[in-house]
Amino acid sequence: MKPFEYISTKSINEATQVLSEYKQDARVLAGGTDVLIELRRPHAKIPKAILDISYIESLNGISESDGLIILKPLSTHTQILKSDLVRKYAQLLGIAASQIGAPQIRNRGTVGGNVMNAATCADTVPPLIALDAEITLRSNGGSRTMKLVDFFIKPYKTKAESDDVLIEITFPKLPSNAQSAFIKLGRRNALSISRLSVAAILMQDKKGLISEARIVPGAALPTWMRVKEAEEMLIGEKPSLKLFTAAGQKVSEVMISYTGRRWSTEYKEPVIGVLVRRALEGCVKD
Amino acid sequence: MKKIKISTTINSKKYYLDINPNVTLLDLLRDELGLTGTKRGCEIGECGACTVLINGEAVNSCLVLAPQIDGKELLTVEGLMAEGKLHPLQQSFMDHDAVQCGFCTPGMLMSSKALLDENPNPAEEEIRTAISGNLCRCTGYVQIVEAIGKVNK
Repeated sequence: MKPFEYISTKSINEATQVLSEYKQDARVLAGGTDVLIELRRPHAKIPKAILDISYIESLNGISESDGLIILKPLSTHTQILKSDLVRKYAQLLGIAASQIGAPQIRNRGTVGGNVMNAATCADTVPPLIALDAEITLRSNGGSRTMKLVDFFIKPYKTKAESDDVLIEITFPKLPSNAQSAFIKLGRRNALSISRLSVAAILMQDKKGLISEARIVPGAALPTWMRVKEAEEMLIGEKPSLKLFTAAGQKVSEVMISYTGRRWSTEYKEPVIGVLVRRALEGCVKD
Repeated sequence: MKKIKISTTINSKKYYLDINPNVTLLDLLRDELGLTGTKRGCEIGECGACTVLINGEAVNSCLVLAPQIDGKELLTVEGLMAEGKLHPLQQSFMDHDAVQCGFCTPGMLMSSKALLDENPNPAEEEIRTAISGNLCRCTGYVQIVEAIGKVNK
């Protein structure tokens, strides 16, 4: 690795101070599972400074308050998959975290890094968008909160400024009539990067009719979003194979309307539909 | 480039180090501290040959920046033996012929150590998950899984 200055801090204020001073010349380091690989790439653009935020304790932990789950950005994928709160109120997020990389990666990689790096294959993002998550960024100028779905511009590009630190991710707990699922398709089971994924949440009323549906594909669209056209087809209906298959086909159509037909479409077109169907089926088991 | 002062515990020994920040934990262990039991494999976090424990958790030392071990407790494969005796995991790997070329073995041992510390009697599925970040190109994994499963039996 080429030389750089290493700055470590235990306070958010100091972190934003350093970033406001260095701007694009600093790179934030948390778990390092993406940053270290980037730094060692041939011809990598080496920042002047690495700002290590991993020692800021107030940026770590998973808690609940007023019906919200508060997910601090330094929470690792291992913390997420072991969290009782996640298991109870955001099952699909735990499933996604448990399928990232391998134990060694899950022990280091953080949800904040997954969000800020904004790779198309970031597996925690589709569940968080389905959960209607908001994020709070802080810079020297103050804090601002936005919907996670509005945060991404394109792969690896977000609305974060160079002096922003992600300080919090929040989302409402799923109610007891909600069931959720996350399905990922990789080239193998362990250590695989998502080729496609689907996060889904369904809520049913007392009669068993679907009262709310959320479908967020991963690695399928230029940026993440809920596929409202497919969600609307499900509202007021009784779950069935036919209905879920049709919803899958709709997601597939919507995907192609955004991406156009390209070399991978022949594969992704049928497969995304099947993944959507399976994710929805996963939301109505028992 | 400014050197960084860190203090850390590796294999129960306290270290006070003055290090360059642009090295990985893997480089620090092998090149500066002579702890070459930890192997250099892919260096992109896919093979697990460089696995060590930080505060009891298995990590790829190739993906940890050396200054990030400040204040942490590390265990490498050199720290497994105690009082001149092999660790039960090491003995079990030998008893079950779980080693062929041996290059993945230190990483396998560290990942399975992390597992057994948390879950002394894991099911086969749990063992396979625990070593899913460790590639072995010789054994086909069967003997390794057996060796780990029999340690506490």
